[in-house]
Amino acid sequence: MGGQISKMMAKLFGSKEMRLLMLGLDAAGKTTILYKLKLNQGVTTIPTVGFNVETVTYKNVKFNVWDVGGQDKIRPLWRHYFSGTQGLIFVIDSNDRERIDEARQELHRIIQDREMKESLLLVFANKQDLPGAMSPQEVTEKLQLSKLKDRIWYVVPSCATTGEGLIEGLGWLSNNVKAPSTRAA
Amino acid sequence: MEATDDDTLYDMESNGRGSESGISMPTSTSEESSAQRASYQSQQSHQYQQPQQSQSQQSQRSDMELQQPLHVDYILVAEFSIDEGPTMEHQYPAPISGDEHMLAELMLPDQTHRRNQDWTIFFLHKEEEETEDDPGQQPLIYVLNLVNTKRDSRVKRGAKVKAMAICTRHSFLHIYKPILLLALEEYFKKPTQETLAEVFVAVNTMDMSCIPRLSVFERQILATSENKEMFIEKFEEMMPPAPDAAGEQAVTTPDGATRTTYFEIGPGSQRNKLINGKLGKIRDSHEYETSVTYKGVKIPIKVPVAVMPETVGDFSLIQLITTFSTPHSQNPQPFPLHPHLTTNGPYTHPVIVLVNALLTQKRIVFLGHGRPSGEVANHVLAACYLASGGVLKGFTRHAFPYTDISKIEELLYVNGFIAGVINPMFANQARWWDVLCDIDSGRIKISPELKPPPLTDGLSFFNLNPNMGVADYVKHDTMDNAFMDDILHCISSRFGEWAVRARWRDWVLRFTRMATAFEEVVYGASALWIGHEENHVIKGHGYVWADEALKTRDLTANAARIEGWRGTRSYLTLVQESAQLYQAKPIKIVDLHHQIDRLRVLRLSREDSEKIYMVLKHYVDDYEEINQLLCVIPETQNGIFPIAFGLFHPSQKVRFAVVELLEKISTHMAGRHFFNNMNRFQRLAYIRLKQEKENSGGFSPVATEGANGMGSFSTTTTPTTAAGVSRFTTFGTVGRGGL
Repeated sequence: MGGQISKMMAKLFGSKEMRLLMLGLDAAGKTTILYKLKLNQGVTTIPTVGFNVETVTYKNVKFNVWDVGGQDKIRPLWRHYFSGTQGLIFVIDSNDRERIDEARQELHRIIQDREMKESLLLVFANKQDLPGAMSPQEVTEKLQLSKLKDRIWYVVPSCATTGEGLIEGLGWLSNNVKAPSTRAA
Repeated sequence: MEATDDDTLYDMESNGRGSESGISMPTSTSEESSAQRASYQSQQSHQYQQPQQSQSQQSQRSDMELQQPLHVDYILVAEFSIDEGPTMEHQYPAPISGDEHMLAELMLPDQTHRRNQDWTIFFLHKEEEETEDDPGQQPLIYVLNLVNTKRDSRVKRGAKVKAMAICTRHSFLHIYKPILLLALEEYFKKPTQETLAEVFVAVNTMDMSCIPRLSVFERQILATSENKEMFIEKFEEMMPPAPDAAGEQAVTTPDGATRTTYFEIGPGSQRNKLINGKLGKIRDSHEYETSVTYKGVKIPIKVPVAVMPETVGDFSLIQLITTFSTPHSQNPQPFPLHPHLTTNGPYTHPVIVLVNALLTQKRIVFLGHGRPSGEVANHVLAACYLASGGVLKGFTRHAFPYTDISKIEELLYVNGFIAGVINPMFANQARWWDVLCDIDSGRIKISPELKPPPLTDGLSFFNLNPNMGVADYVKHDTMDNAFMDDILHCISSRFGEWAVRARWRDWVLRFTRMATAFEEVVYGASALWIGHEENHVIKGHGYVWADEALKTRDLTANAARIEGWRGTRSYLTLVQESAQLYQAKPIKIVDLHHQIDRLRVLRLSREDSEKIYMVLKHYVDDYEEINQLLCVIPETQNGIFPIAFGLFHPSQKVRFAVVELLEKISTHMAGRHFFNNMNRFQRLAYIRLKQEKENSGGFSPVATEGANGMGSFSTTTTPTTAAGVSRFTTFGTVGRGGL
């Protein structure tokens, strides 16, 4: 009953729901971003075993954010989360120049998947607070985003611990998402 | 789905899925049915190969195995590597062949990073020769796993996540919990192979040599009785004749060190028991007390003596039922109709929907997001018992108490499974399951993609069809709602886990017996009934209804789920086992269960009841024959009451026969407890009649007034727990009718 009322309210006030999938190499800062968004405070994270999922509400949009562990051996599991994803948040450790190519390969592998065809792509160029971090332009180049066809993408410089850039990213996602999903919640 | 079953199977066999490795997830190869068993058996010929291992390990292992089968086959340790993810660190005494990475993933359940400790359970299918007592089935290896997350600012990324698992053939794997707690702690301090070796030796030197060995009937009697002294004599029988001799016998390990340990924990403690008034020390005959000595600490262990089939771990059936009853009783929500599942219409009790889904072999997912995986696993294990009741088999074999999204493809190959997950992604994917049990909300959901079953003969026989409307469901009452009320009453009155399990067992047994009658009515014969009625001294077999109208009501109400059950693994296994059980029965000349039910349910003429009592007296004689009788008069169904009732039969011949029968029962190891449960009236009647019988030399033409007390007696006190009372009012009036 309660669920039905809130659904009606949602129609009245035009709130929408959006399913987001946050991926990236291990230690890029995905979980820190998730909990900064959720709790608006920095938390000390440890490696994610499996996944985290949280609901974050921003400007009438309910974001259902999935954060999946990024270690090498568990990356093949990412695809199980693709179906129904409206926005992919790909998190880059801007200070990790050594693995930026590895990140690029993973990113391109994900967005080539048929189930991710409709998904928006938001890249957080994270850890901007560290000296020597790659600039958003450099990250865009290294990830070869200009090669992408038929894809709406955006790169935001961010710092998960301070929260810099995170709200901007969510705002971009909510502005660009297509008509609210009509699938039954 | 049933139609494509075979194709899928053969397809996968040709792919060789699951058959390449020694240990596999229960996927294709376990998808057998009796019809396919032949090919299945030939396929599994000795897939199991000992992988390469060091000589010393090999010799230690084989030495141990020479003495007795190992309690624990493997000890494993896995770590969540911050660079790679789940990684197997050590396996002792040798690597389990098969997918090491998959094992490591199972050992490090989802969201372990959110809690300090978690238990999980999962099963492995070992492909080797069948065991003797379980033909047609590969042995399962049960895995109990403990994972700890230790935050440590000194290590990279701030935490260490490690898991240790014990792989055993014992379904009572929960006994290893205390050892695993100590051993994993030790491993954090000393992460070496030796740490595993110590655990391995410790758990395998546990002494179980004096655990009572029980026959099928004895096991059933003990498991369905709450009496803590039932079969206590068996413990005495198992005592070693002389401590010295036992000591020699029991040496199992090659090295001196463990030998001393062994003596310490083994016969020594038994000897104490023997000296200090042996039986006084056994607190509960359902448990065998032994111990494991690890790192100098003696850890007491209680091993269940009578383990019923499909009973794995220490799950709580009460917890399972409570989880899915509470929201329903507060705010019932209608289910979409499905003939197999919603047997009482849209407001069928969710627990009944669950048991129906299990019986008709649906794909069932238990989801507990944000919960420890151990809690989810316990719901899965309890669900296995819910449908099995210790009567039906084949549920644990296709259960995945904990699994994660990475195994989804393998899972979807299995036709009918029970899986526990904590990833809410499963809730979004209705094509992955037929029935979703959400532990958090306590709600059960039927997948919108689940198709109605085909129209079968059984349905048309009762004028039913797969697309029935609400009115058709409500018309025929399964009586399940009344049953659930009784169960919930049991739970709220704190009757305990035992009482609830025993009642479910009765429910499952009733279901299978009704199915037998159903097959006989619809198809003319049932594969579930084995016997030669032409030889019976009293005709009749199977379930007893008070009248034809009730029979039609029950069979109609149950028709859809019975049809859904026929052809499932649990059905086919029961067909197979019915023949074996028939062979094991010492009394084949009469269907004891049927005749006892007639005494309970029908208004019998004095001639009819006389016949039953005389046959019981005549044919129930030796030890195992009495066991067979005791199996059909469990405590939950008022125990010995229907027999003791014969003490008030109008014919003295019958009364004396009943005295004789009760005498035999009273001197029987288990029977004496049933005998002691007689109420005061029955006991007085027994004593008086016994006297009378002795005075008369066994025969007297004078009818006594024994029957006088009967009318008032029968309808009043019953030696029963709350559930059976209503049934007994009927019996009381029956008795009067017979006079």
